[in-house]
Amino acid sequence: MTRAEPLNLSGWQPAIDIVPYRLENGLHLLVVPDESLPVVSLQLHYQVGSRNELPGITGISHLFEHLMFRGTKELGPEEFARLLQAKGGEINAFTTKDHTSYFENLPKEHLELALSLEVDRLANLKLDEENFQTEKEVVISERKLRSVDSPFGLVEEQLYSLAYTQHPYQWPVIGRAQDLRRLTLADCLAYYRTYYHPGNLTVVIAGDVRPEEARELVEKHFGSLKSPGSPAPLEVREPPQRGERRSVFKKVSQVEAFFAGFHVVGLDHPDIYPLTLLAVVLSGGRASRLYQEFVRPGRAADLEAYLAPPPWSARDPDLFLIRAVAAPGTDLAGLEADLWSSLERLKTEGLQEAELARAKKILKAQTVQGLAQNFYRGLMVGLFYLKTGDAQRINGLLQYYEQVTRDDLIRVARNYLREDNRSVVILKPVSAEESLALGELA
Amino acid sequence: MAEYIPPLYQETLANGLNLLGVEYSRVPWVSLTFMVKRGAECDPPDKAGVADWTAEFLTLGTARRSQRQLAEDVEALGARLKARAGWDATYISLEGLAEDFTALMTLLAEVVQTPRFPEEEFPLLRERRRAELAQVLDDPRELATRYFQRLFFQGAPYGHAVRGEPESLEAITLVDLVAHYGREYTPEAATLVVVGMVPREQVVQEAGRTWGGWRGGGPASPTYTAAPSRTCPPGLYLLDRPELAQSEIRLGHLGVPRQHSDFFPLRLVNYILGEGGFSSRLMLRIRSELGLTYGIRSRFHFRRAPGPFTVATFTPAENTGRVVREIQAVMQEVKENGVTLQELTEAQSYYVGHFPLSLETPWALARQIATIDLHELGWDYLCRYCEQIKGVTLGAAAQAAKAHLQPEALVTLVVGPAAKISQDLGELAPVIQVGEI
Repeated sequence: MTRAEPLNLSGWQPAIDIVPYRLENGLHLLVVPDESLPVVSLQLHYQVGSRNELPGITGISHLFEHLMFRGTKELGPEEFARLLQAKGGEINAFTTKDHTSYFENLPKEHLELALSLEVDRLANLKLDEENFQTEKEVVISERKLRSVDSPFGLVEEQLYSLAYTQHPYQWPVIGRAQDLRRLTLADCLAYYRTYYHPGNLTVVIAGDVRPEEARELVEKHFGSLKSPGSPAPLEVREPPQRGERRSVFKKVSQVEAFFAGFHVVGLDHPDIYPLTLLAVVLSGGRASRLYQEFVRPGRAADLEAYLAPPPWSARDPDLFLIRAVAAPGTDLAGLEADLWSSLERLKTEGLQEAELARAKKILKAQTVQGLAQNFYRGLMVGLFYLKTGDAQRINGLLQYYEQVTRDDLIRVARNYLREDNRSVVILKPVSAEESLALGELA
Repeated sequence: MAEYIPPLYQETLANGLNLLGVEYSRVPWVSLTFMVKRGAECDPPDKAGVADWTAEFLTLGTARRSQRQLAEDVEALGARLKARAGWDATYISLEGLAEDFTALMTLLAEVVQTPRFPEEEFPLLRERRRAELAQVLDDPRELATRYFQRLFFQGAPYGHAVRGEPESLEAITLVDLVAHYGREYTPEAATLVVVGMVPREQVVQEAGRTWGGWRGGGPASPTYTAAPSRTCPPGLYLLDRPELAQSEIRLGHLGVPRQHSDFFPLRLVNYILGEGGFSSRLMLRIRSELGLTYGIRSRFHFRRAPGPFTVATFTPAENTGRVVREIQAVMQEVKENGVTLQELTEAQSYYVGHFPLSLETPWALARQIATIDLHELGWDYLCRYCEQIKGVTLGAAAQAAKAHLQPEALVTLVVGPAAKISQDLGELAPVIQVGEI
């Protein structure tokens, strides 16, 4: 590590070196060099997530992510992870609405090993009935953990299925229980052929590697793979919501709660920046409006306004979420009514310059914090590229926030946080007996 | 010594406070951590949570600033002020942009040295904790982890939730927090860790200015190092939750303290047993081969006094008995036959290869430095770490497994729907049904 020098730190902007390449078979490579530590983060982002699914096969993207660890013609189940962990690697994968991503953070001298194993599972994945059934059971258990038995998992699922009538964001990434049970190996094989090839793949290598060396390694391992070309772009649009939608979900719970969502925009829309700042003004930190008004005085156990910040924001218009958990003894309907009044006040009376400045500083700090890690540097570069086609937005991120004014925040609040654009799910607690009488949770 | 290991500097301030620091140059960030070397183990037996509530209370107003003013001033810097107790230590940390270093240092010093203990905040804190507890007890994973800890330690100092138990809500008073602060927050038992894009000279100068004159309270409680006189008898305990689709399973026995000479062999053995993700035997058997869970993990909780060894997992209710049996069998195999040379070599290679990643961020560095100081591991610990991992022999690993794994004496807790699992579990051992906390 080099010694810290006195710098003009307040004017600091990200200046991330991004070197792009494209192989002849359509694979995109982004190299993000940084020599601070002898490590690299290798990331493979396949442009497929739950938005590419259809009713009947929901959850297939995520199930497939699991299958990618089940071995190849050469390697046994989980041997992929074991070989790379044995070199000090952190290995994992995640599936979102928009993409499926695999990563290995490891010492730089093992980059080529990781690349060779990634290409092996892309080209030679072993998909048989036994592997498939075992992993399906694992995913069904994961669904029970994350959705069914989690305090608010099914409430949030119900909110998305209420708010979206046509767009695939209406189902959860983990999939619907019925679909998971009926998915077949044949479904997975068809899915593999459609989405897992170089034409649908962006590789990011961030860390201690020379760009040209990285390109040569990727060319050596991936260059001979054939690609049927990028899958046809999927254009799906949720029609504007024309009136509030409400529903009730009953389950065993110690607390009452409601989850609400307003349709907003996707990552590529300029309003994503004022909307992200608005969420921070509302509930980012203990000085925020909702914390001071509801959480600190003990009316809400938790009250959060949330929209994933760029570049984590969804590609298509997502929901601006409100998660409200009443404190014991608080009347939920009263809490909800007061929350909407509070939002109305913001729309009519505006906000102070200090509130906006604080939100900007919080997002600046979060950005800087993320950039301390190769893994997040690579992810931020990769996700901007994947969802907007422009990786360089990472370097302009702080300026995009900086340019937002108080009037922008009021405008987006008026434009999107409207009753007609709102869906609400109420969590109503019931006893264990009542819950059983209502039937199985799934 | 690898060139990427950053030099650690150490100073003792005029009042005896220990200052540890590292210069960090990758991004303009600074992490400040104030550590009191006493934690939730000092909570009075009937007042679980005092250490943690005290830590949070420091952030609810200082002599100069109200709760709201303090929150506004911290967040206007985009910074994050966190306060929490752990086992053996309590941490008050403030992290933010390096451009605000002087303001951050002043704020942290003010929070720790001049808390106001505003009376009007106490009932609000209590109600927030009540609400949090209601939420936590809805989460089967949290419930199982908390219940196991309490069941296992039977009232010994590690036997409660750090953030407090239901009965704490009425038992703890503001007087308890003031008393805890007055006793435990003293320079003699504390350390300040600074990692960030700030030159050493500036850190030392600011630390002297903002911390050097602090006198604090004391004398701090004696450190807790002994093993508990008794723990829960081994057996199969069941907490009925009829509404759950899955069972949460926690099992374990008493482990060893951080200072134990078998630390490195045990760490490697445990990686192979259940901490190494897909490289671990528990994951291989119960997830990959049998598909009975999404995740399983074993862990030695290394603390100043012996902490627990635990295995945690979950499974669809109908598999519960089978999973418990399989875990015992895997543990028994490792205890009796040790691990293989290939497994040991791969575990060593994992820790050595992964080591640079653990130095990547200011907060990870700060956490490592605090741990080194808390457990007195030596200032050259980071430089020696890889050698110590590589020095563990197959014989040492086998000996550690034999000495410290006790599959025959496990306390097993299942939280799940009794109607679906009692019969199956009963074939393993007599089932002791336990009630709500």
